[in-house]
Amino acid sequence: MSEIIRVKIADLAVLKGDGLLITVGLGSCIGVAVYDTAAKVAGLAHILLADSTNFKAGDNPAKFADTAIPLLIDQMARLGARNGRLTAKMAGGSQLFSFENSVISVGEKNIQMTRQTLSRLKIPLLGEDVGGNCGRTMRVYVSEGRVTVTMVGSEERQI
Amino acid sequence: MSLKAPSNELKLDVLKELGNIGVGNATTALSQLLNYAKVEMYVPDVSLMPLADIPDLLGGAEKVVVGVYIKAPGVVSFYMVFLLNQESAGALIAELAGVETRIEEAFGRSVLLEVGNIIMAAFLNALSYMTNLTFLPTPPQLAVDMAGAVLGTVLADANVAEDYILVLKTAFATAAGKIEGSFLIIPDMDSLDLVVNLLLDGACQ
Repeated sequence: MSEIIRVKIADLAVLKGDGLLITVGLGSCIGVAVYDTAAKVAGLAHILLADSTNFKAGDNPAKFADTAIPLLIDQMARLGARNGRLTAKMAGGSQLFSFENSVISVGEKNIQMTRQTLSRLKIPLLGEDVGGNCGRTMRVYVSEGRVTVTMVGSEERQI
Repeated sequence: MSLKAPSNELKLDVLKELGNIGVGNATTALSQLLNYAKVEMYVPDVSLMPLADIPDLLGGAEKVVVGVYIKAPGVVSFYMVFLLNQESAGALIAELAGVETRIEEAFGRSVLLEVGNIIMAAFLNALSYMTNLTFLPTPPQLAVDMAGAVLGTVLADANVAEDYILVLKTAFATAAGKIEGSFLIIPDMDSLDLVVNLLLDGACQ
């Protein structure tokens, strides 16, 4: 039976060949899936906040967009993924609560930093389902590199 | 008397007692709202919890819940969420408003927001009375979504830097068993020292 890994908040996981990576209940958090088609190596990170430089050093790097993605790539490289072949998809960054005074929502900051970090690392972003005001669950089917998103009361759909 | 940083153990104890009193106040407010129905409250559970476990605290991250979120920024910041499952939310609206209405409708939402407002204000009042600190809570916000999404959003909004979060969790149920809910209160870790010292000082006087 193939492996199923549930990625918790501020955590990440990688798999090679076969299996399923899943992260449940992305609100303002971002799920980033990175895939290497040739090596069949997939990684998934559940990012809580955008910018690690606003916090003291030594915090869990998987928590922040700017540090989680490089860490994910490192772990994927150990399974044989190569930099030039990586592609990414992302989901989340929604605004569940609408505080009127917030200029830019936590979700929006997360979306922007994830895009910036992917572009800095030269990883093309092939699909996304971000923003809005609903939570999402994200699945990565490792053998095909297929990424899907489900919301409450809606069908699983591919991004 | 010199102020020193209280130990984590002491902080947990103080927060637990604070929680008991605050949540007791909140439960009384709820009982009054429900025409003095008997409301059972559980002794609050206070713990230092790994960040990653919080979205699963209330029966699974994918379970759909109704969450009312209030933050009380100040010298000491508190982030509070009042969570109900959908059936309880429906029962609460029916009980209070005397009409069956859906959570999705503006009227139902407004009832839930007001309940959240009243019970969290009751909690903060107790805290304010004991510490002489002033709290200015934001207007409540409501979301109906996966528990993980609701709690994850609150954690992100609280800008949690730590990998372990101090959490005060309690649940209540009406005697008729129709309404069950939970409070989750996340204090700002650094400023909590101040609260603990204020309370200990008060106790010594």
